[in-house]
Amino acid sequence: MSEIYDIGYRHYDGPRLGRGHSTRALAVHSLRGIFGLGRTARSKIMPFSLFVIMLLPAVVSIAMMALAQQRGLPYSGFAVIMQAVVAVFLASQAPTVVAPDLRYRVLPLYLSRPVSIAEYVGAKVAAMTVALFLLVAVPLVLIYVGELVVDMPGPPATGEFLGSLLMALVLALLLSSFGLALASFTPRRGLGVASVILVYLLASASVPVIYETLRSAGDESAAAWAWLANPFWLVDSVQSWLFGTPPHSIEGAYPNGPASAAILVVLLGIAVLALALRYRKAASR
Amino acid sequence: MHILATEGLTKRFPTVTAVDQLSVTVGPGVTGLVGANGAGKSTLIKILLGLLPPSGGTARVLDLDVTAQGAEIRRLVGYMPEHECLPPDVSATEFVVHLAQMSGLPRTAARERAADVLRHVGLAEERYRAVGGYSTGMKQRVKLAQALVHDPKLIFLDEPTNGLDPRGRDEMLTLIRRIGTEFGISVLVTSHLLGELERICDHVIVIDAGRLLRSSAIGEFTQATQTVTVEVEDGLEPLAARLTETGLTVSPQGRMLVVKVAGPETFDAIRDAAVDLDLCLIRLEQGRHRIEDVFREEAAGV
Repeated sequence: MSEIYDIGYRHYDGPRLGRGHSTRALAVHSLRGIFGLGRTARSKIMPFSLFVIMLLPAVVSIAMMALAQQRGLPYSGFAVIMQAVVAVFLASQAPTVVAPDLRYRVLPLYLSRPVSIAEYVGAKVAAMTVALFLLVAVPLVLIYVGELVVDMPGPPATGEFLGSLLMALVLALLLSSFGLALASFTPRRGLGVASVILVYLLASASVPVIYETLRSAGDESAAAWAWLANPFWLVDSVQSWLFGTPPHSIEGAYPNGPASAAILVVLLGIAVLALALRYRKAASR
Repeated sequence: MHILATEGLTKRFPTVTAVDQLSVTVGPGVTGLVGANGAGKSTLIKILLGLLPPSGGTARVLDLDVTAQGAEIRRLVGYMPEHECLPPDVSATEFVVHLAQMSGLPRTAARERAADVLRHVGLAEERYRAVGGYSTGMKQRVKLAQALVHDPKLIFLDEPTNGLDPRGRDEMLTLIRRIGTEFGISVLVTSHLLGELERICDHVIVIDAGRLLRSSAIGEFTQATQTVTVEVEDGLEPLAARLTETGLTVSPQGRMLVVKVAGPETFDAIRDAAVDLDLCLIRLEQGRHRIEDVFREEAAGV
């Protein structure tokens, strides 16, 4: 009586898709997790409020264009100017991508399925990269659409806009691989948040210290390299080299050219290596 | 046909040899893998999943080689780990759907399968709530559901009754038996309680310190080790003496007697002896063989 219908066990004979499908499913699942979708309302507060904060300058910029026929934020400088918000987003959300699987030992469930550990890490980095890219790119697109609609005098800054989109992607990749590597070293979320924000603060705070030290030693040109300790300025310097945009440093120009691009590639390599080592250890447990 | 077969399988870690020259074959149905903690059960499962390369020997699962075809094996096999492995902030449904997709099922199929499997393991409305608030029994069911969701040919269950109360334990064992029979999925289930596995397994493998102690059908097991425990209010000694007189093997264990069962006549002999001596019989229970009994026997036999 208690069982109203029991159709018994049914076997599954539908399609079984490849590892590409699984990796994509994991990336989408992680991306939803970053924005708190399918989770409690509380886990949506942080990502969405930061997202809204990122949109405010875009709205102001459009208003300036519409009312004063004046450009507000330059596309190329948007990420640098909004860097604190981007860094807080990275620090608060990177641990949600990697920490639970380590802390609650979900990783063995993934590894007992066809995906490899490299695909697992790849999907996580991809999800965080897409999230950060959306955070920076959506306001940029909004400003650009605003610019087209307002019909500013002179041609639209399409080149600068597209360049800034590409650099937003590069920045997102650099930040997410570093953020996830840092966050993956501790299974505790709080510590993950703290370690990411601490590294960002150290990187930013070290800039003026190194800069002043070298400048007082009379080495102006070497001092300029200090800017590149901050990931946002590093990416900006690569942008300045690739697209000829003005540097958005606080004072003075900084070196740009293949050297800063090389630093960026090396840093990416270090982050990927750290992730690989971390997860090789986690997988063998 | 063999579901899995190992040949001289060895796994050495820097300090210990977890699996030592293990050669064993497993057929379809429910197979128990028994061993004390640290006997190498979990290591063996990891090797069979293709996650840990063996130091020597070979192993084939569903006729696929564990070192070369790990990914294919993991597509057809389910795994329920011993430890907790559920994130607390997602619902059982969302989690099981996600893991079904990770096993290669398209999204709609994953949803259907997850709903089906969660029903089979006995999770009703609570499957929409976050896993963090579940009892141990419910968590074990979710763990089992994720191992079944992609309709595997074979599942590895590592200590599925761990931490369950007697009722939960019974339900879990019944469910495992159903998986092996009704669902038609072969099962390799580990436990350190032989008595538990006797109820559900067709075949039992006993390992100790990574070596094979014994591998036989369940029938041979119970025949070799069948005992009955007798408890009486007073007069344990006279009863023991009387039973020994009639030619039974009797060993006192605290306030109880363990009598080796020679056949159905043994039960009659115990009953008659109790009646003759005018004793108050409290308990007559079929012996639960503990893993130690098997170890003792094997050690004596070697």
